Amino acid sequence: MTPPLPQLDTRLAALREAIAGEAPPPSSDRVIAVAIARAARGGPRKPGALRRFDAWFAWPLALAASITLLSFVIRAVPPQSLTESGPKHAAVQDLPANASFMPLVPIAELERAGDALVVPARMSRMSLAQSGLPVNPARAADAIDTELLVRPDGAVLALRFVH
Amino acid sequence: MNAPADAMPTALTDSHQASDAALAARLACGDAHALDPLYRRHKGSVYRFALLWSGAAAVAADVTQDVFVHLLTRAEDFDPTRGPLQPWLLGIARNFVRRRTGTQAREEGHDPEALDLPAAAADTTGPDDALSVRRDVARLRAAIATLPPHYRDVLVLVELAERSYADAAAICGCELNTVRSRLSRARALLARALDLDAVERAAGAATAKGRS
Repeated sequence: MTPPLPQLDTRLAALREAIAGEAPPPSSDRVIAVAIARAARGGPRKPGALRRFDAWFAWPLALAASITLLSFVIRAVPPQSLTESGPKHAAVQDLPANASFMPLVPIAELERAGDALVVPARMSRMSLAQSGLPVNPARAADAIDTELLVRPDGAVLALRFVH
Repeated sequence: MNAPADAMPTALTDSHQASDAALAARLACGDAHALDPLYRRHKGSVYRFALLWSGAAAVAADVTQDVFVHLLTRAEDFDPTRGPLQPWLLGIARNFVRRRTGTQAREEGHDPEALDLPAAAADTTGPDDALSVRRDVARLRAAIATLPPHYRDVLVLVELAERSYADAAAICGCELNTVRSRLSRARALLARALDLDAVERAAGAATAKGRS
């Protein structure tokens, strides 16, 4: 039990009364209002446990999933699929990653190429221009990862962009 | 003319009448607007706690913002089964105010006997004089601000924020008996710093003399 100190209790009561009306300044109210508006724009949050999970595992998990998906796509796309897609006329920098093979020879020749191999290659954009693909001159010196469909005699039949 | 209650927007009345726990749950699920009624309800308590603890209005304002931004981003940490929201907020305020005033690290080395206070003014006015009361309150605030942090915690929570001993124990993370002993010690330190113990002794002696 605390010892009685009436004088102190009187002063404590006076202090309680003196600060009873104290409140944060309007600037604090504005800070909170801005924080609320900003958080509201961010949309609904996931439950806490899942958010913590995300915080620790999201990036490694996303990276692992991307690598797995990429290897699956590279290995699983059959060469026959190239016959389903015709030549594309989009600029190289606009093409999506892992696009289908773009034939560099007539389709009839592709259909005869049963033993063709997929060969990864890093090419300059300028060399792509030489193959007849549109290239942004400002980025002509940049390299780009591709996969080439190559006939056993070395003739390049088609290519696709990996990145 | 007063508008009928049912004329109010449903969402507004709902959010302002909802319990703290319900609003905190909504906040945890991403409804940021649930913070607004919580801020209106508890900003005063949090601010006054930080003001009394730090003795500085600027620190108190910053701590209040910190506490409610923390609530906005970490509402899922609040567990309504372990107690009401306000003690939880005061616990967060306690951590923030300690961090801002940098006293956490100094706590161990603080000498509780050495309270450095402004000199007491001569008592030239009567006890009912408003100026005298203001001066006493100012000296008391200065004395509180110089108390060691663990004594200041319980004194501000129990004596000024009028929280229960149990709340203070939960907020400070200590036993109930520890709160009692710290409060007793804090009061004794304050009385000594304000020379009130001498006044009390003199009053006690006068009473004893009058009886004899």
